[in-house]
Amino acid sequence: MNNIKQQKVSEVQKKQNKINTNNKKMFTATSTSKIVSFSFLFLLSVVWIIPVIWTMLTSFKLESEVQTVGFKILPVQWVIVNYVDVLTNTASGSIVRWFLNSLFISTVHTILVLIITSMSAYAYSRLKFKGKDFLFWLLMSAMMFPSVINLIPLYKIVSSFGWINNALAVIVPGLSGVFNIYLIKQFMMGIPKEYDESARVDGATEWVIYTKIILPLIRPILTVVALFSFTASWNDFLWPSIVFNDVDKMPITPALQLLQGAYDIQIAHLMAAAIISIIPTFLLYLFAQKYFLEGLSLSSGVKG
Amino acid sequence: MYNKKNKNLTPYAFIAPHLILFIIFFAIPAVFGIFISFTNWNIMSSPKWVGFQNYYEILLNKDSTFYMQFHNGLKNTVMFVIFTVPVSIITALSVALALNAKPKGNKFFQSLFYLPSLLSISSVILTWHFLFNRNLGPINNIFNLKINWYGQQPFTWIAIVIITVWWGIGGNMVIYQAALASIPKELYEAADLDGAGAIIKFFKITLPSMKNQLTYTVIMTTIAQFNIYGQPLMFSKGGPKGSTYVLLMYIRQLAFGSGESIAGLASAMAVMLGLCIISVSSLQFFLLRNND
Repeated sequence: MNNIKQQKVSEVQKKQNKINTNNKKMFTATSTSKIVSFSFLFLLSVVWIIPVIWTMLTSFKLESEVQTVGFKILPVQWVIVNYVDVLTNTASGSIVRWFLNSLFISTVHTILVLIITSMSAYAYSRLKFKGKDFLFWLLMSAMMFPSVINLIPLYKIVSSFGWINNALAVIVPGLSGVFNIYLIKQFMMGIPKEYDESARVDGATEWVIYTKIILPLIRPILTVVALFSFTASWNDFLWPSIVFNDVDKMPITPALQLLQGAYDIQIAHLMAAAIISIIPTFLLYLFAQKYFLEGLSLSSGVKG
Repeated sequence: MYNKKNKNLTPYAFIAPHLILFIIFFAIPAVFGIFISFTNWNIMSSPKWVGFQNYYEILLNKDSTFYMQFHNGLKNTVMFVIFTVPVSIITALSVALALNAKPKGNKFFQSLFYLPSLLSISSVILTWHFLFNRNLGPINNIFNLKINWYGQQPFTWIAIVIITVWWGIGGNMVIYQAALASIPKELYEAADLDGAGAIIKFFKITLPSMKNQLTYTVIMTTIAQFNIYGQPLMFSKGGPKGSTYVLLMYIRQLAFGSGESIAGLASAMAVMLGLCIISVSSLQFFLLRNND
């Protein structure tokens, strides 16, 4: 009796020991990989952060200091004169104006994207109608089409609407995109049909179901779509540079190219302009980082 | 009666706003873009059918400037894709792997590496144009170099690739992180029992488990890089000697530049670029999907 007990005890002990050594092994393995990973990330992050920091510091330096070879990292004298100059100079177009143009364009574009794509996604995920599957398939396959081919005809269409040098030229065409519909539809599939079906039985119209039941439930994905639409619109470069030739009407992203010509080698001024131009997207990132990062995993179809 | 009819039309009311915009701003330009590549269109007048003349001009007529422009532009674009895509993918994957080990400062590193993807290409180039400045820029000064980054190959390409990778790894990195986090731990534990090393585990477990995400990101990154425009335009102005003049710059210049628009011919170039994008991404899809 005793013997058997002892045997069992020693077996348990052996097992315990084995687990312990395994744990130890695993522990050292993970801690080495943590150290290696940290060193790698640390070194690489220096490369990543230097451009940002250097730009910021340079924007607070005197132009004469930047132009002197044999520079220092920190400004010898901290000045805001570059910002004042860039903000008040209107000879080559006003950066304040461009900033406001962009703010208007990106905000209106984002609101319209939310309304139009969520309505469409609602129909494709919840309603029954003729040709639904075919239409959705058609939209999805359009994503494979290389949009570079559309560029020139799109210009003709926009200009025939009289939208050259008009904010509509950069607000409206992007609303034809299909990716956000797919994204929102996918999210809606995760909402139990019982929610809207019981409302339907009670006689609620589709519009009421969409606005009162579905919209509040899909708020997370709408936030993601809003953030990405806003930043994409803010950062758009090629298309606005084609449809705007009036300097005053331009959004800020293509306008920076004009500044590059205007300020030429006044580097500290250019750095100040670059910093001003990234404030909105930077702030959005600061406050809604979580949504940006989650949204990306959603859009690549990664699910847990 | 009215109610029933109303109900049948409701779904169409929901999809109509998008569908109308889709037809006007996507479907029509797509079809028209292919059509005008067979015409002598100049954007203003009505297009006249010229058959394959534009294609002959850019593909085969060696005496034509457009032949030179198309070949130079496509060559430079393809070179950029070949340089940038592997570096972007490998860098993003390495960073994601390192972050997945959950080292100290994990969250901070993630935010930092993602940050540049939120910046516009024009602000990114303003910054890097200064960093690579020959006399005043910190890069030459820190490493004690005298390289003319804007005007001497291969340095201009190196600079453009560095800028592009810096700008764009964020999205892929996050996708890989999510993919890595979703690989079941049991797979690695089983491999440990079999005595598999880190490298074997990476190639036998990690990479195959991320196949979908790798396929997706490789294709999306390739498509994005084929559309390169802002970097060479603002960094090197297509130079030195046209060696970074990419196809989209020619297309833009021919269709919307000063002087009379040659939109028909520019469209032929756009269609050719589109065909390259479709063929390469289909090939990638085929290769990455079928190598079990």
